Amino acid sequence: MSKDRETQVLDMIYQALRTLNEERGPDEQIDIQLDTALFGKNSALDSLALVSVIVDIETVVSDHFERHISLTDDAAMSRDPVPFSSVMVLKNYILELVA
Amino acid sequence: MSALHGGKTVLITGARRGVGKLLRDHFLAQDARVIGFSRHADDANQIEGYTSLAVDVGDAESVAQGFAQVRKRFGAIDILVNNASVLTSQYALILPASSAEAMLSTNVLGSFLVAREAAKLMRKRKWGRIINISSMAARLQPAGDAVYAASKAAMEVLANVMAREFAPFNITCNTLGITAIETDMLAALPADKIDAIIAALPLPRKAVADDILNVIDFFASERSSYITAQTVYLGGVN
Repeated sequence: MSKDRETQVLDMIYQALRTLNEERGPDEQIDIQLDTALFGKNSALDSLALVSVIVDIETVVSDHFERHISLTDDAAMSRDPVPFSSVMVLKNYILELVA
Repeated sequence: MSALHGGKTVLITGARRGVGKLLRDHFLAQDARVIGFSRHADDANQIEGYTSLAVDVGDAESVAQGFAQVRKRFGAIDILVNNASVLTSQYALILPASSAEAMLSTNVLGSFLVAREAAKLMRKRKWGRIINISSMAARLQPAGDAVYAASKAAMEVLANVMAREFAPFNITCNTLGITAIETDMLAALPADKIDAIIAALPLPRKAVADDILNVIDFFASERSSYITAQTVYLGGVN
């Protein structure tokens, strides 16, 4: 059951990144992997792209689990590492929120 | 001739009465689908094309629940009119903190929360119109309206900053500053005070419905894609 939930959350993150890729040029495509950085110097996302991804993920996770979540509140931003340091870290953080 | 807002989905806050009801009926007459957010249940739910949802715009959780319903039932919003407003007119020295808080919560925080959630939907379709309803009080700054006037001025600034942030999504944000119009809210204010304010306007009369609808249609129009971060006042207020 928890594995299913993990897969679901990962799919939601991947889908948000795929949606972003659809809006980007061929030479701006984000390599979508578990270790893909979403924030920081290794990230290929500018601030607007990151905001778009966050909004997509928050919306789909909230709707799917019927629980409003925020990925940018104080609890999220005060974590080390921040939830956006990689896809895996973000996935694990969301799993905590919807547990 | 096709209806002005045919096929559009319009969200109006405070749609149960006053200016919100006027806007609701106008958009419905123009073949739009209208969603109303009101704090209390709206008995106009049986009107074709209209859906009322009980949402307290100043409560983030209530707004989130309202938008979860909107996403499920409608999937999109094209036009938002942030109209919900609370007004307590009283000298600052005797204005209770709870009244000040209620004005800031509904007028400022509520406008922000609803615009934020609406923009999340609008950005998907790369099209949106956000219109804040402000008041002449923001400019005339009459005695007794310190917090109300400040809250309405804040709504204008909100629209202007959001206009920058939402521009990449082809979402415009503008503000209409209305003058006095016959509503329940106006009836709760001292008539002599209102009359004196109106008498001092360049166009010294109360607003009528079409004065408001004219500007709303302008801001909401497909043709207004290059109009954003603007405030239009009625009656010559500036």
